[in-house]
Amino acid sequence: MKALRQIATLIRKDLGLQFRSKETLALIFVFSILVVLIFAFAFGPNFPPEKSERAKLTASVLWAAFVFAGIITLNRSFVIERTHGAIHGIRLTGVDPSFVYISKVISNLIFLLLLEIVITPIALQFYNLFDEITVIILLKLLGILGIGTLGFCAVGVLLSAMSTSTSGGESLLSVILLPLVIPIIMGGTKCTVSILVTGGLENRFWLGLLIGSTLVFLASAYLLADAVIEE
Amino acid sequence: MRLSASKITKHFGHRKVVNSANLTINPGEVVVIFGPNGAGKTTFIKILATLLRPSSGQLQIEDIDAITDYATVRHQLGVIVHELMGYPVLTPYENLMFIGKMSGIENLDTRCKVLLDEVGLQRFIHEPLQIFSRGMTQRFMIARALLHNPSILLLDEPFSGLDAAAKQFVLKRIAQERENKKSILITTHNTELGYLVGTRFFFMINGVLEEIAQKDEISEEDLLQRYEEKIIDTA
Repeated sequence: MKALRQIATLIRKDLGLQFRSKETLALIFVFSILVVLIFAFAFGPNFPPEKSERAKLTASVLWAAFVFAGIITLNRSFVIERTHGAIHGIRLTGVDPSFVYISKVISNLIFLLLLEIVITPIALQFYNLFDEITVIILLKLLGILGIGTLGFCAVGVLLSAMSTSTSGGESLLSVILLPLVIPIIMGGTKCTVSILVTGGLENRFWLGLLIGSTLVFLASAYLLADAVIEE
Repeated sequence: MRLSASKITKHFGHRKVVNSANLTINPGEVVVIFGPNGAGKTTFIKILATLLRPSSGQLQIEDIDAITDYATVRHQLGVIVHELMGYPVLTPYENLMFIGKMSGIENLDTRCKVLLDEVGLQRFIHEPLQIFSRGMTQRFMIARALLHNPSILLLDEPFSGLDAAAKQFVLKRIAQERENKKSILITTHNTELGYLVGTRFFFMINGVLEEIAQKDEISEEDLLQRYEEKIIDTA
């Protein structure tokens, strides 16, 4: 019970801070909309008639937007803790460092899922796919994006904790994070295309890769969290 | 609770910031460490607070090894360092409520309000910390350090930025905590206030911690003179 109370308190604090300052919120929404718009202008207004081509374009745009918005969010979430030594205040409460890790993963996941729920329908509309998508397909799509985001946050939170403790660490995060999350991006993009084209998953390999890498990242990052947050 | 540090050394790269420091603080004792800027006081206090791992040495709180079993002892520590250890966009009340919930403190709302009242922040309870002056921030940090009624107080420059009234409050509060058998460590440049509040005195210069005297063994003038001589000798 104590663990759950502490994790819930940390998540409430993280989300409260994000919504209070609105800096990150505004930044990632504007950034994601811009990515969608730039690709729409570059490839539009006459998009390919084949649904599969539009689906590939949409999947690329969505994942590019969410990966880079995710990097911004992850960076900010630990910069807030480091800048004024707030992480020391948390550590001195005697909380298990892995609870700090878990709460950061969950709060970043919630934050990015909110972004995805808003941006995905906008992108589908821009790339002429919205009318061809049912609510079930949209939910499946958000499910895939959710699994990918979980894996991304699992490894990203750990690396963000490491990179923000070094000077110039904010730029370091993208350099070390992006190569690591390639399996998630590959699996996620392929699953997204498949769902947008067929409404289901044609090849289970990509879903396996997405779920497998998410689980591996979650387990290994959880085991390393104590050492990273304490150092 | 008794805090005991033995042969604590801390390197940052090739630089030895704390050099084999030994210190014991017993309940009801106020140990004061005087030292110039860059002497290693803050690093030493962060090590004692388990926020920084020493390169070598032992740290015990009662019979617990505080270096390996830090989670067990941290709730016994009330700490002030140079950092806010909070969130500037939140109010002092919200910051205290957050730390209090994490620590599982009972009657938290009342406790936060009473403490903020005691440190003179009752009028600013719903203002964000980012608009606070240095002195007001220091008052908040004092409230945060006392929130969970810790057995050991580690206060790095607690008088810094405070006006006369707030300094009086801190002096009184430290005396009160001493009567309650808390173990207290203070670092300061201010020999006058340090002498007033302390029971045992140390100098820390270039990372070397040296015990000077108990309060009844030395006058304030002698303490100041020895401190100045020491700084000049090592300059």
